Amino acid sequence: MPNQVGRTGALLVLGFVLSLAVSAPVSAQEAVAIVVYPGVEVDDLSFAELRNIFLAEQQFWPDRSRITLLVRAPQARERDVVLNQIYQMDEDRYRRYWIAKMFRAEVPSGPKIVFSSDMTRDLVTVIPGSIAFMPASEVGPLLKVIRIDGRLPSDDGYRLR
Amino acid sequence: MTDRSPRLNTVTAGTLLAMLTLASTAAGQDAQGPTVRAFGFGDVNFLATELDRQEGFQLGQMVGHVSATLDEHVSFFSEVSLTRRNDGYSSEVERAIIRYDVNDALKISAGRFHTPLGYWNTAFHHGSWLQTSVARPEMIKFGGRFIPTHFVGLMVEGAIPTSELGLQYRAGVGNGRHSNIARGGDAGDVNGERAWTASFNSRPVSVQGLEIGVSLYFDRITQSGDSDTDERIFAVHGVWEPGAPEILAEYARVTHEPLGETGGSTGSHGYYAQFGYRLPGGARSVKPYVRIERVDPASEDAVFADYELGYEGLVAGVRYDPGVFLTLRAEVRSEEFEGLDRMTSLYLQASFVITGS
Repeated sequence: MPNQVGRTGALLVLGFVLSLAVSAPVSAQEAVAIVVYPGVEVDDLSFAELRNIFLAEQQFWPDRSRITLLVRAPQARERDVVLNQIYQMDEDRYRRYWIAKMFRAEVPSGPKIVFSSDMTRDLVTVIPGSIAFMPASEVGPLLKVIRIDGRLPSDDGYRLR
Repeated sequence: MTDRSPRLNTVTAGTLLAMLTLASTAAGQDAQGPTVRAFGFGDVNFLATELDRQEGFQLGQMVGHVSATLDEHVSFFSEVSLTRRNDGYSSEVERAIIRYDVNDALKISAGRFHTPLGYWNTAFHHGSWLQTSVARPEMIKFGGRFIPTHFVGLMVEGAIPTSELGLQYRAGVGNGRHSNIARGGDAGDVNGERAWTASFNSRPVSVQGLEIGVSLYFDRITQSGDSDTDERIFAVHGVWEPGAPEILAEYARVTHEPLGETGGSTGSHGYYAQFGYRLPGGARSVKPYVRIERVDPASEDAVFADYELGYEGLVAGVRYDPGVFLTLRAEVRSEEFEGLDRMTSLYLQASFVITGS
């Protein structure tokens, strides 16, 4: 009996570890798509241009319409990806960055906060000039996805994962 | 700082309250109307010093901001401060800027600015919470005379496109210094010669946190009882803040050339260099820092000779961030003001930011 319990326990542990090994990399590797208002006349951005937009160093599209940033609220993996790879900041530094940006009058307002992928989808299709990010698997058919350095989220070498 | 009447203070404080009220009520209103946001900074200090100054607990500056997006291209920003004095509080409109953004390359604004000379003056403004140290360097302190900290006029600025160097420019024309050279020309120019300023900064995309820049300022100074003096200021700065380390360095040369006199031009110098480092891991809320600074006015300077601006300081301190919106600091300063022996001071400060919608 003790041997059976021990074997069952070992199998459960092994199964748990295997499930982590199989599922965690998939989740951790999922691409984050950059989506824009359908009327934005831009299809491709370099990573440097994308970074300038999210840092509000670039605030206008080439057609002179103002860029509106939609940023997912904390506790979302796609936000972590964007903070790590685009902003290259932790959460505290990110908040300080935007307070300082507004305080210096370099931007009239900070990013608009969104709380779900549904909300992102809804807003990015109605706010002219808006740009947002969301898990690639949750991008709907009506959204316009931007290529980054010529790559879509499904392509090898896509940076935002 | 000049004296202001109690009535003026009341009016300005009332304006501040009205602006904050407007901000709080406007948030969430019709999305077609202006979007208004308000936030504020403040600090509370404790001072123990060998200098001839009042010691003990002191309120620092209470600063209120209102920004409004009037339409896609037009915005307004204001900054109003309340500053403690020995006999009460004085209020001041520090910045009031109406801006039209044509695009990223051209933004046109008018109003009262912090003069874009060097780095600190336009990076930290009146928000002590933003800066690492308790106070500004002596060469650009508010109410100081070495560099004009405020500028009233017209400004154009923007980013120079298609540049990996992240080039930005600013140029402005406006009222020069008041006859009290610690103040800007809020009520107009005291002489017929407008002040001009221009600056160029580079924030290379490939080097995170790096900014280098040069700036220029030209003015004609008129002080009561003195002949006019042409002023030229050249400033250069380098900043690197990639994350944990922080390096700030600024240098300014102020040249004064009296008109109609045999005396030639004189050059005065000021600089500071500050190094800070945010500790790693569990101690990342702690940031020790050190700063050296110096103001060296020319002894025969036609404008500075009446004031004892000479200064040499060594500042060392620790900034601790218990949360995002609150900062605690302990700072020791060893300072030598012109005509005085070197003296030591201890500053303790709690500074905070309040952000609204």
